[in-house]
Amino acid sequence: MARNTYQSRLNQLEEDVLYLSELTAERVRFALDALEDKDERKAQEVIEGDREINRIYLDLEQDCIDLLALQQPVAGDLRFIAASFKIITDLERIGDLATNLAQYAIDAENDVYAEVDIRRIGDAALDMVDQAMDAYETEDTDLCHSVAERDDNLDTMCDNASQSIVRDLMNGDDFEGDGDLEPETALVDVRRLLLTVRDLERIGDHAVNVAARTLYMIDNDDSLLF
Amino acid sequence: MSQRDKAPEGEQQAMNGTEDPTNDEMLVETDVSDGLSASGNSVGREAETVISSENINVWYGDDHALTDISMDIPENSVTAMIGPSGCGKSTFLRCINRMNDLIDVARVEGGLTLRGKNVYDDDVDPVALRRRVGMVFQKPNPFPKSIYENVVYGLKIQGIDADYDEVVEESLKRAALWDEVKDRLHESGLDLSGGQQQRLCIARAIATDPEVLLMDEPASALDPVATSQIEDLVEELAEDYTVVIVTHNMQQAARISDKTAVFLTGGELVEFDDTQKIFENPESQRVEDYITGKFG
Repeated sequence: MARNTYQSRLNQLEEDVLYLSELTAERVRFALDALEDKDERKAQEVIEGDREINRIYLDLEQDCIDLLALQQPVAGDLRFIAASFKIITDLERIGDLATNLAQYAIDAENDVYAEVDIRRIGDAALDMVDQAMDAYETEDTDLCHSVAERDDNLDTMCDNASQSIVRDLMNGDDFEGDGDLEPETALVDVRRLLLTVRDLERIGDHAVNVAARTLYMIDNDDSLLF
Repeated sequence: MSQRDKAPEGEQQAMNGTEDPTNDEMLVETDVSDGLSASGNSVGREAETVISSENINVWYGDDHALTDISMDIPENSVTAMIGPSGCGKSTFLRCINRMNDLIDVARVEGGLTLRGKNVYDDDVDPVALRRRVGMVFQKPNPFPKSIYENVVYGLKIQGIDADYDEVVEESLKRAALWDEVKDRLHESGLDLSGGQQQRLCIARAIATDPEVLLMDEPASALDPVATSQIEDLVEELAEDYTVVIVTHNMQQAARISDKTAVFLTGGELVEFDDTQKIFENPESQRVEDYITGKFG
């Protein structure tokens, strides 16, 4: 194979992007565990681990810049590097959202609206991230479209959860209930729960971005970017 | 037929150290630790300096071709020299193995050391120097001899006894040519393609086991595929040799070199730094203008 060093750098970039995606997905998983179990130590690990994600993200950004500046990539190689450059930003933001979730786990004192299944929504978002990265690794365009289609389902789950929370809040359901909660405390918790749902929905949006960039990378097809 | 043109006399001498095999005084060996340190420009790693120039000036008659060139070239790396035509980059390359000695009107001043020993000292034999500093030229110039004889030419002419079969195989393997020619070692080197001929010249240059390989536009006469093969080869050779390459093609310098020296008109070394630094954030506006195509 010609241009051996260049080819090995491209392969390394792909491996590193996949590693970053595994790391961020793991952090989201930990954050969901922390939320479910109110595990502050685990939540703290996620928050502290964000520095590592940021460092890898910046290293990969520099790798992409080096490849562009020094290797003059064209055609498929150029699309791969351009797509990777954008994808790592989405992955880094998923990492940020994992720290948000971890912070909610630390802050939450009361389990309001236990009927809202955060784990189920979180798993759906994470599945989309996994599928988008599978598409990137295997260059599978069908998977890219599948991720985009699944986002509607995630959005619906999140909308339903938010509406349910707001409806119950308006009905004053949990302000009475067992009488343990002061209205102000409940409001803080409800707000946190709404933010949790919103952040999970955003993880899905980032997965769609990854799929869209991957589709562009594979087929020069920008249809998912709009 | 141009392929059969004989290489200029000076080029043959430079490649094989054959100016006068009987006058075979070795370049005086010196302690490499005598006052030399790794390049001040080196970022991220400490490599030993192999070639160090200090205020080198070259004149061709009244023409001041190089002005106060100071740089340290690190070991086992690729150092590229780029710049517009006439900027002095090839002149500097030719200072390293004293090829400028062969030009009557050329005058060199300043210090240029190879592992701490000034190559312009009176006790340095240029022929012995060129055995340690091999050279490959722009146009592939194999001798009108067999592939085998081309590779061992330098050893034979210097009367160096060696297992020639082994040298041929090893040199051709290092030059990434062995697999293509192993069954026709006794056919003429001139029957090879241009890219193969250039790799044969590289095999010939490394057969005498030099420390430094100078390459003056080694791929500029080749097609893109052969160019890519030479570029891969240059990167591999840097594992064993210190490679200094002159190229008009600044993208080539970006692709394959560790350090880049930018010469600009007037024989001035404007910037010398890690290649990544030169191509991503050069210190000099003139260098930025040159590499972005705004000037030069």
